[in-house]
Amino acid sequence: MEVSFAKEIEKLRLGDGDMFHGEGILAVTKALLQSGVSYIGGYQGAPVSHLIDVMVQAAPQMSELGVHVEPCTNEASAAAMLGASIMYPVRGAVTWKSIVGTNVAADALSNLASPGVLGGTLIVIGEDYGEGSSVIQERSHAYAMKSTIWLMDPRPNLTSIVTCVERSFELSEASNTPVMMELRIRACHVQGEFIAKDNVKPAISMQQMLTDPAPHQYEQLAHPPVTFGHERKKSGERMQAARQFIADHKLNELFDGPEGEVGLIVQGGLYNALIRALTELGLADTTGRCDLPILALNVVYPLAPDEILAFANGKRAVLVLEEGQPEYIENEIGTILRRAGSTTTLAGKDLLPMAGEYSAPVMTAGIGTFLRQHLPRIGNQLGDEGYAEEVAALQDQAAALLNAPVPPRPPGFCTGCPERPFFAALKLTQQEIGPVHYSADIGCHAFATFAPFNFGNSILGYGMSLASNASVASFQEKPPLAVMGDGGFWHNGLLSGVTSRLLNGGDGVLVIMKNGYTSATGTQEVISSPDTDMKLRAAEQSATHGETTIEDALKGVGVKWLRTVHTYRLSKMRDTLREAFTTKFKGLKVIVAEGECQLERQRRVKPIRAKALQAGDRVVRTRFGIDDDTCTGDHSCIRLSGCPTLTVKTSTDPLKTDPVAHVTNGCVGCGLCGEVAHAATLCPSFWRADIVSNPRWWDRTRAALRRALTGIPA
Amino acid sequence: MTRPPLRILLAALGGEGGGVLMNWIVAAARSAGHGVQATSVPGVAQRTGSTSYYIEIAAPNDPHAVLSLVPMPGRVDVVVSSELVETARVMSAGFVSPKLTTLISSTARFYSTAEKISMGDGRFSEDTIAKAAETMAKHSFLLDLGQLAIDNGTFVSATMFGALAGSGVLPWSADHSRLQLTDPKSQAGFDAAVTAVTALKTERPPVAPNPVPVAPPEASGLQTVLAHGTSRMTDYQDAEYAQMYSDRAQSLIAQTDLTDHRAVHALTEACRRLALWMAFEDIARVADLKTRPERFAKIHDEIQLEPGQTLTITEYMKPRPEEIADILPVNLGTRIMARVESGRRFPLLGRGLHLRSNGIIGYRLLRMVAALKRIRRRSYRFQIEQAQIEIWLTLMQTALRQSPDFAMALAELPRVLKGYSDTLMRGKTAYTQIMSQVVEPSVTTGADAANARLLRESIGAALADDSHEKLNAVLMGIAPDPAIPNLKKAAHA
Repeated sequence: MEVSFAKEIEKLRLGDGDMFHGEGILAVTKALLQSGVSYIGGYQGAPVSHLIDVMVQAAPQMSELGVHVEPCTNEASAAAMLGASIMYPVRGAVTWKSIVGTNVAADALSNLASPGVLGGTLIVIGEDYGEGSSVIQERSHAYAMKSTIWLMDPRPNLTSIVTCVERSFELSEASNTPVMMELRIRACHVQGEFIAKDNVKPAISMQQMLTDPAPHQYEQLAHPPVTFGHERKKSGERMQAARQFIADHKLNELFDGPEGEVGLIVQGGLYNALIRALTELGLADTTGRCDLPILALNVVYPLAPDEILAFANGKRAVLVLEEGQPEYIENEIGTILRRAGSTTTLAGKDLLPMAGEYSAPVMTAGIGTFLRQHLPRIGNQLGDEGYAEEVAALQDQAAALLNAPVPPRPPGFCTGCPERPFFAALKLTQQEIGPVHYSADIGCHAFATFAPFNFGNSILGYGMSLASNASVASFQEKPPLAVMGDGGFWHNGLLSGVTSRLLNGGDGVLVIMKNGYTSATGTQEVISSPDTDMKLRAAEQSATHGETTIEDALKGVGVKWLRTVHTYRLSKMRDTLREAFTTKFKGLKVIVAEGECQLERQRRVKPIRAKALQAGDRVVRTRFGIDDDTCTGDHSCIRLSGCPTLTVKTSTDPLKTDPVAHVTNGCVGCGLCGEVAHAATLCPSFWRADIVSNPRWWDRTRAALRRALTGIPA
Repeated sequence: MTRPPLRILLAALGGEGGGVLMNWIVAAARSAGHGVQATSVPGVAQRTGSTSYYIEIAAPNDPHAVLSLVPMPGRVDVVVSSELVETARVMSAGFVSPKLTTLISSTARFYSTAEKISMGDGRFSEDTIAKAAETMAKHSFLLDLGQLAIDNGTFVSATMFGALAGSGVLPWSADHSRLQLTDPKSQAGFDAAVTAVTALKTERPPVAPNPVPVAPPEASGLQTVLAHGTSRMTDYQDAEYAQMYSDRAQSLIAQTDLTDHRAVHALTEACRRLALWMAFEDIARVADLKTRPERFAKIHDEIQLEPGQTLTITEYMKPRPEEIADILPVNLGTRIMARVESGRRFPLLGRGLHLRSNGIIGYRLLRMVAALKRIRRRSYRFQIEQAQIEIWLTLMQTALRQSPDFAMALAELPRVLKGYSDTLMRGKTAYTQIMSQVVEPSVTTGADAANARLLRESIGAALADDSHEKLNAVLMGIAPDPAIPNLKKAAHA
């Protein structure tokens, strides 16, 4: 695992009245323990990867309390885990990245929500929306509505978030309904504080075992004919109970203000940005005291109609600030107002943008327009247009001074990444056989969609690359290529892709990046991750070598054409790719591109090396370099690599005007530069230096001989 | 109404320790009694992409301040950036305001892929960013925080923290910030940055309305180029070859109006390209350069070899029949090339070799290859290159008479002849195409500014990608994409 939470995990033990300082997602973990959960599960993905990392690393502390921890192989399996709470009075929580994770979990969620739950059930979703998001832009809100799952959207401070977690379990139990809590990216990573409570040991748990299973109750199955009754309950008594609970416990917060002719209704998660927007307009101070009344919805589904009507009552107009599209909340408020015959004007997406993040500048502009229409006395005094002009002027001035667009800097493969050589090999293969249809997938390998590789015709979801070119294979002369990681393979790819292609006897080439972990999300483990023994044996080498779970599974389902090639054997990889695309064998061809994630390998190597150097053992360090005298500055090597440490510098030759290629000291000596120089017949400028610390007598003798016979020192 | 919180935006690259820096600032604020909130959008950006962190520190009398998670353009008090182009990105988004913002930026560069993959020089102008920073910020502190970190054996997060503390914008003392650091190396880096920033504050020169123009690159003057060229030819071949260079340069000088600075500029560039071309890299040259004592000294330096360590240096060579033919006498070379073209194989050539250049065998072998310099004048490639040079020289002479603009562009043309093996072949194809489709027709009809522009665009397009897609478009008369980075450079030259 990439990040160590050893220090943070201690904070999970804080008791009543202690001050907790830390990250949002860690606060959620603490709140789960304070709520007495029996089990926690989930699947990693930004922005909730840290929650998975923390719960895995804190497994010993969790088991003291009796909490079962299960990092699942995908979100569907995490969602299905919540089935425990249908029949047993146990609280449980799972987490994943949304919208994508909720999509995968959708089937289990429907089947969970229909019978409803006995024990409190919470799904913590990282709403990966807006700046920093790595997925398609959709709202999780739709799932809440269609499956009847309550949706919390707490104000983004730790106290509110923690309270919301605790209330969610109560709400869930009061209404027999699962609850989702959405946390936006920045809220997941927010550093803040709250006053802790003691953790609660669950009454039923791995430490407090039940002797008997729950009785058979047909009513609890998501199976006809009881599903018809479930539907009536969802919209009837459960909904009623939830609304009652929300009102009774004041889950939504009213911040009153003197200018009561209008009002603002906002998703809780947007509250802080709203206050900043109002401060900019001169309508609020830094503590949140505001001239306009605000209804902050910490529960965005369901709404309590009485609460909405009470807020709108006597107001000329209300503005709904709702991020993303379509405007579910606004539509529902409209229905509530209309049915009650309210004369209050409803404003929202007519004044604010339909799509995109609701940042403070966006809301500043929207509120300005709203107030000019409905409260001109104040609206006409506002400076929001001045602010927009000021920002535009700043941006224009910067653009004019910089004189050229700033080059993009998307994420890329790390230094020494074993996936990079595969893409160099693919580039070389395509130079020989021409372009092939390339189905990309989710994972680090998706960085190959950026320069210098620019690969990919489509991305259809996690582990879906092979499935996504099933029909392409039917009308392409050359078999199409699908690339997926081992993470994607186990998440979905084996079943959706491999077995489906085998069932249909279709053609195609599948490349599986076997780096041993789900690396893009922070190197969490998969079923084929090398175990401790393998890592110990591998030491500085790739620990994935010899781990054959993927190959065994492929053989087991009947893959006939299967090769495993280490990615750093560039020429061999190119030959294997050429063979895969040109062979007479019709059917699925799988290349397992093996090479352990460099982040994990370096984490192992560094302490081994430090220890060896300390002990005076012989240690060899390898790095690459480039002769700037022979480099002509054409940068072909960079276009085949993209390594962060392979860069350019001003030539030391006074006659050369173009920069020459250069390897920085960050080079980890992975060997790709040399392989590329050979495989692509690039240029003779690369050199490899093997530096021996604490040399032995034979090293020293050879070095002395070399000195004597060549005249070169060292 | 209470004072707004102090708003700090950190710009960095994934993996640089921006999160560590954020946590130091948060801890310092907390222990100084301030309400504080900080957040980030790391995601996959932690894999070397550009990323940012945002911190708000409430005024001490405002414990219940509602702090925002997202920075607002024009409303950021402090920007701290680890890299110069990231600073440009922050400015482009409007986060740096002359009314408000203290900008602390490292001048270190970490070139983006977009800048590196250009076949010419795709690097963003650093002076432009520095000048913009000085104009856009209320106070700006530009210093190489990356180098300061390296000098002190620590990471850029420590020197960024030191620079922030030293700038005086934090509502507590630098010593209080320093308490967050426990590692002596981080403390050393922090201290160095505090000192450097303090020095910038006190010795701040008045901002000149017209900044001093950038010093011209070395060897820009005609005499300097000629001197470098002559000594390069002596080093490459012998005194006689150096004389040949001088004679060729003289033939260009004779056609130039030395009172016209544009013509002189074109002449200087032509002499520079002539020197690089005449010293083309064949295997004898490469072997010679790879076995020089100063080269090994440079490597020792670059890898920071310590006393007591031993070292082996491995070269990656892959001589194909073409490269062997190049250095052999004309008739032999011609026969080999005929065999290459007929598609027949050479059993021992075209394989990757690992040569240990500081090993006994490797070194001796390379010296033997370097000795082939003695037969270079009679070699296959030498004849071809000289003939090409002569054609270019003749056209250059005419161009210098006809149009300094066009001559300037023509002087740049040999720049497309770059690299080795396939890369060089592509360069030669581009060169031939531009020669026959742009240069020759222009010179025949009398070159002018319009021809010059087309030629510059062609060269820029040839250097923009290695598929020649953009070059073909330009040659077919399609206006070039302004995003071709080299066009701008060529246009300025």
